[in-house]
Amino acid sequence: MAQATVPKPLGLLETLRQVRRDAATYQGIWSWIATVDHKRIGMMYLVTSLIFFLAGGIYALLIRLQLARPEADIVDPQTFNEFFTMHGTTMIFLVVMPLSSAFFNLVVPLMIGARDVAFPRLNAFSYWVFLLGGLFLYSSHILGGPPDGGWFGYAPLTVRQPGHGIDFWALGLQILGISSLASGFNFLVTILNMRAPGMSLFRLPVFVWMTMVTSFLIIFAMPVLAVALFQLSFSRLFGAHFFNPAAGGTPLLWQHLFWLFGHPEVYILILPAMGIVSEVLPTFARKPLFGYPFVVFSGIAIAFMSFGVWVHHMYTTGLGPVANSAFGITTILIAVPTGVKIFNWIGTLWGGNISLRTPLLFAVGFISMFVIGGLTGVMHSMVPSDYQQQDTYFVVAHFHQVLFGGAIFALFAGIYYWLPKFTGRLFNEKLGQLHFWLMLLGFNLTFQPMMVAGLMGMPRRVYTYPSGFGLEIWNLLATIGAFVIALSILVFIINAIYSLVMRRGEVAGADPWDGRTLEWSIPSPPPPYNFAEIPHVRARDPYWHEKYVEDQEGRPVPVVAGGANGEEHHEAEGHGGHGIHMPSPSYFPLIAALGFPIIGYGFIYADYALVAAGVVVLLLGIYGWALEPASE
Amino acid sequence: MKTLRTLARYLVPLLPLLLVVLLTACTGIGDVDAPQNTFAPRGEFAREQKHLFLYAMWPALAIMILVEGALIVALIAFRHRRGRGLPKQVHGNPPLEVIWTLAPLFVLLGLAVPMVSMIIDHDRPPSANALPVKVTGIQWAWQFEYPTITDSQGKPLTILGTPERPAELHIPVGREVALELTASDVIHSFWVPRLAGKRDAIPGHTNHLLLVAEEPGTYPGQCAEYCGLLHADMRMIVVVHESEESFRAWAQQQLAAQAQSGQGQQQGTAR
Repeated sequence: MAQATVPKPLGLLETLRQVRRDAATYQGIWSWIATVDHKRIGMMYLVTSLIFFLAGGIYALLIRLQLARPEADIVDPQTFNEFFTMHGTTMIFLVVMPLSSAFFNLVVPLMIGARDVAFPRLNAFSYWVFLLGGLFLYSSHILGGPPDGGWFGYAPLTVRQPGHGIDFWALGLQILGISSLASGFNFLVTILNMRAPGMSLFRLPVFVWMTMVTSFLIIFAMPVLAVALFQLSFSRLFGAHFFNPAAGGTPLLWQHLFWLFGHPEVYILILPAMGIVSEVLPTFARKPLFGYPFVVFSGIAIAFMSFGVWVHHMYTTGLGPVANSAFGITTILIAVPTGVKIFNWIGTLWGGNISLRTPLLFAVGFISMFVIGGLTGVMHSMVPSDYQQQDTYFVVAHFHQVLFGGAIFALFAGIYYWLPKFTGRLFNEKLGQLHFWLMLLGFNLTFQPMMVAGLMGMPRRVYTYPSGFGLEIWNLLATIGAFVIALSILVFIINAIYSLVMRRGEVAGADPWDGRTLEWSIPSPPPPYNFAEIPHVRARDPYWHEKYVEDQEGRPVPVVAGGANGEEHHEAEGHGGHGIHMPSPSYFPLIAALGFPIIGYGFIYADYALVAAGVVVLLLGIYGWALEPASE
Repeated sequence: MKTLRTLARYLVPLLPLLLVVLLTACTGIGDVDAPQNTFAPRGEFAREQKHLFLYAMWPALAIMILVEGALIVALIAFRHRRGRGLPKQVHGNPPLEVIWTLAPLFVLLGLAVPMVSMIIDHDRPPSANALPVKVTGIQWAWQFEYPTITDSQGKPLTILGTPERPAELHIPVGREVALELTASDVIHSFWVPRLAGKRDAIPGHTNHLLLVAEEPGTYPGQCAEYCGLLHADMRMIVVVHESEESFRAWAQQQLAAQAQSGQGQQQGTAR
C-alpha cells in the first residue's frame, strides 16, 4: 500500500504524517515506534527488560567469578564496585519493575474487558522514558565509568565519589521514576474506569487487584525517591549540604528517605508476582482461588504496612531502642498477611486436579522459594540478632530468595502462561521444564550457601575475602550455582526462539489452559481492538463461568453447546472489528521522552544550553501530543 | 503422566545434591576456628545474639518444613491423573482462614517479647568501670583512641591502621568496653562478629557500642557498611588480653613508643 508509492520529497510535517499513516497499518518498524496498543507496548517492555536481565546477569556472573576464590584478581576493586552497583540497579529498576509493567500492559486491559488502557499515548510515553532512562544509565559505561555507590547510594559516600557515575545513576533513576509514575497513574485510572460492565471490584482477577495496589504504591513511594535523588544531585552538581554534617546536614536523612521509598519498592516488585501466581494456580489446579477476599485484603494490608517498616534497614544506625523495638514489631507483623497468601495458595492447590505444566512449576517454585525468603525475613526483623546479619551475605541470600526465587520465578510463570496468548504459540514443554529444574537447582546452589557465608562473617559488597575464614567452599558453590542459572536462561532463550520466533511451538489457540479469565475468551494473538464486543461480566472468573456451571455439590459441569451462556463472544469473529473506535498511533510520546536524557546529559556536563535543548524537545513533544487529534 | 516422568527424571539427581549442600552447611557452620563465625561467639553480646537467632530459626525451620511439605503433598496427591474429572469448586473456608491468620500472630508475638527485652538490654548504658575507646572510621582504616590512657603530656594513646595493616584494638578479657563510634568521611560500620553485632560509624554523629570479651584471643573484624573503593580492606583486629595486667603492660609499651615517635600511632604508621 503505502510502500508501493514512489517516494517524493516531503516537508518534515508531511513526512511525520506519512509515518503516522504507515504506523496505523500495523506493519513495519514505524508501526512499533508509534504504537499506542497496550499489547505491543507490553511486548516491548517484555523484550527490553529481558535484554536488561541478560545484562544484569552478566554483571552477576562477573561478580561471582571474582568471588569464586579468596583474594582473586579477576576484576579490580573499582570495577567490582561498579558491577554490584549496576547489577542491583539493573535488576530492580530495569528488570523486575518493567517486567511487571510488561504484564500490566499485556493482560490488565484484557482481564477487565477493555480495548486499551485509559491513556494509550501516556502508556507509550512510559515505555519510551523507561527505555531511554535505561540507555542513559548504561551510557555511563562509555562516558567515564558506571556508578560505584551501590544500588542504595548511601550518602555521604555518593556525594563524595569522584567521576560522573553517581550522576548518571541519580539522574537515570529520576528518569525511570517518571516512567513508573506515568504508568502507575495510567493503570490506576484504567482499572478504576475501564472495567467491562459487571466487572465489579470484587470480581476483578487478583492480578488486576495487585496491579492496582502496586500502582498506589508507586504513586506514593516514587516521589520520596525523587526527593532524595534531587537532594543527592543538588549536593553533587551544585554543592548543596543536605547530607554534610559539617554544614548542618545529616547523613541519615538519605537513609530515611531512601528506605521510605525502598521498602514499599520491595512490595512493588513482589505484589505483581503474587498476582501472577494467584492467576496461574487456579488455572492449573482447575479450582478457583481459595479465599479470594483474604488474598486481596492481605495484599492491601501488605501495601499499607510496607510504609511502616523502613527502619529495619537501619537497625545498626543507632536510632535507639524505642525506634528499633517499634519497627522490629511492625516488621514481624508484616509476616501475617504474607503468610495468609501462602496458606491460601496451598489451599488452592489442595483438592485440585493439578496439571504440572511449566507455568504451574514456576508458580510452585515461587511459593517454595518465597517461603524461605519470608521466614528469613522474620529472622531479620529480630533486631539484636540482625546486628550480626545486617549487611552480610545472609541478607544477600534472603532478598534473592524474595526477588529471584520469588519475583523472577513468578514472572517466568507469567511468561510461560501468557506469552502464548500474544504470540499464538506455546513454549516447548520439555525445554520449559528443563529450564525450571535447572533454574531451581542453580538458584538453590547459589543462594543457600550464601546464607552460611553470611553467618560465617562475610559482609556484602566486598571485592574479595581472605582465605582461612571458612568462606571458600560457600563462595565456590555459589559461583557454580550462578552458572547453572545462566545455563537455565540459555535454555529459555533457545525455547523462546524455537517456539515463538521460529514458530515451531504448538499452536496455542484461544484458550490453551482452559483459562478462567477474559483474556482467554478472545483469539491468540488478540486483534488490535481486543474484544469485538465488550463482554458482560456475571461472576468472578467470568470466562470459566461461561464454560462451566456448578451443580449442587459445587462440581463444575460443562455448559451444553448452544446453551444460552457464553456464545456471544464467538459470534463476533466475522465482525472484523470495523467501526471500532481505536486511538491512532503517535510518535509524540517518543519525542517527549527524548527530552529527558538530553536534559540529563546537560546537567551532568554542566552544559545548560543542552538542558534548554532537552526542555524544548520535551515541550515540543507535549505540544504536538496535546494538539494531535485522538484518531484520524 | 509424561510431565511427571520428566519431573522425576530431573528431581532425582537434584535432591541428593541439595542434601549434600545442607549437610555441609550444618558441619561448616560449627567450625569454631573460622575467625569471623557468628556461630562461634566469644563475647557476651555475640553469644546472646546467636541465641536469639536460633530462637527465631528453629520455629522458622519447622514452619518451612510444614509449608514445603504441604506443598509437595498437594502436588503429588492432587496431580492430574487420567480419569480424574474437574475438582469440586471450593471458594474458601473463612473459619480456617481466620485461624491461619491469627495463629501466626501468636507465634510472632512470641518472638517479639524476647526481642524487645534484648534490644533494651544491649543498648544499656556502660557500667562505671567500663574501658572507654573512641573509634573513628576513615576511608579505609580504623582509628582507636583510649581517652583514659594518656602519656606525660596528656595525649591519649591512639592506634591508627591502614588498608594493608589493620589497626589492633587491645582490650582486657571480661571488662566492659564502651566504644564511641564516629567517622571522618563517609558512613562505616564497626563489626567484630565473634564479639558483638555491628554498629554504624557515622560522620558528625556519635554511636555507642558495648563489647565484653569472654575469652582471650585475637578476633578479626571489618567494616560492614560499603564505604568506597577499598571497603573490603578496611579491617581491624581485636586482641583480648588474658588479664588487666597484660593489657596495662601493652598500653605502657605503646605509650612509650608513641612518645618516642612523637606521633599518635602504632600499627601501620604513616597517615
